Amino acid sequence: MIAILWSITIVSLLATLILSVYGIIAKPNLVKKLIALTIFGDTANVIVVLLGYRVIYPVKPPILPHLSKTALEEFVRTAVDPLPQALVLTAVVIGMAVNILIAFAIIQIYRIYGTLDVREVGKLIPTLLRRDKE
Amino acid sequence: MKRLIGLIILLITVLGVSCYLTQNLTPQTNIHPLGKFYLQNSYFGQYSAKSPEAVTSIVWDYRGVDTLFETAVFFLAIIGSLTLFRLSKEQSEEAKQGEPKPELPQPVGTVTKVIVAMILAVSASIALHGQLTPGGGFQGGSALAVAPLLIIAVYTKYALEKNGLDKTRAIIIRSIGLLGIALTALVPLLTKGYLMQNQPLFPEKALGVPLGGSLVFYNILEYLAVGAGFTAVFLLLSIPEKRFKKFLEVKR
Repeated sequence: MIAILWSITIVSLLATLILSVYGIIAKPNLVKKLIALTIFGDTANVIVVLLGYRVIYPVKPPILPHLSKTALEEFVRTAVDPLPQALVLTAVVIGMAVNILIAFAIIQIYRIYGTLDVREVGKLIPTLLRRDKE
Repeated sequence: MKRLIGLIILLITVLGVSCYLTQNLTPQTNIHPLGKFYLQNSYFGQYSAKSPEAVTSIVWDYRGVDTLFETAVFFLAIIGSLTLFRLSKEQSEEAKQGEPKPELPQPVGTVTKVIVAMILAVSASIALHGQLTPGGGFQGGSALAVAPLLIIAVYTKYALEKNGLDKTRAIIIRSIGLLGIALTALVPLLTKGYLMQNQPLFPEKALGVPLGGSLVFYNILEYLAVGAGFTAVFLLLSIPEKRFKKFLEVKR
């Protein structure tokens, strides 16, 4: 039972990853592309956290419960891997900052071109360039 | 209907693949040796960061340089955002002109005041206890950034600027935080240590609370940097769209 839940978790995360890549490629709207990108990033982070998880019953967070050496042995036996969590922690904030940068760029594109459709933006760029030359 | 069929096919595929994988996939019950090393050495041991929380000790000590450069990426991303929305001096003065008038019923304002104070306290607690409990500078800073956002939503951005927290001040606070991180990273070099090393010259305990050496300094400075960086971004985003279009001279 635990094995099947474990594999459902992994496979559904991979399916989400594939769906979000499809969203990034296929949706013409820039905001929808950004939403798909955030889903992609968050799924990748969850997969990384999952790498450090252990499927045992009393599973503990990687924080020492008491400051005594007697607790250390049980702590090492039950705590999850702290390394993926530490990597994800920084990745989340960086992802947030990069998403803000992309969101700002999208807002500016909307202000200048009046549309968010990449196909129309692609058509508008040459006309804007020509207007500058005249 | 077409979407529903697609969804059902997807669900059946996921379930089928996972049932197939169950036979040759065993859930992991052990952690990697590296993770075990961090768990054993985060508080006790020779290569200790003196922090009971293993994640914070990895973030700011064992893999500190990693985090230092990720903070640099964060810095550049916020700088890039501010550059995209840059305004001249007159324009940014004009963007500040406006009356702070909450159009919401009075209880909303009062509750917001209480909640903002609580958010400040909780976020400071998250950041300062980063070496003891789940949390740290990043999480505390993200929680801190919610407070100005709430004020902007209820009292408008002009209230925030009239009370002294404008974009320039937020950027200054953020720069102080980042500069502090850089300087704290350089301190171990004075005692023949390596860059960002957690050396005994940092305090181990204060008032009986473990501080984790340099971890607490990094957490406080990162808290300021992240909170103020996001505040600057929110202040820029809350400039009314009409005014921004006027600045850009968009005729469309």
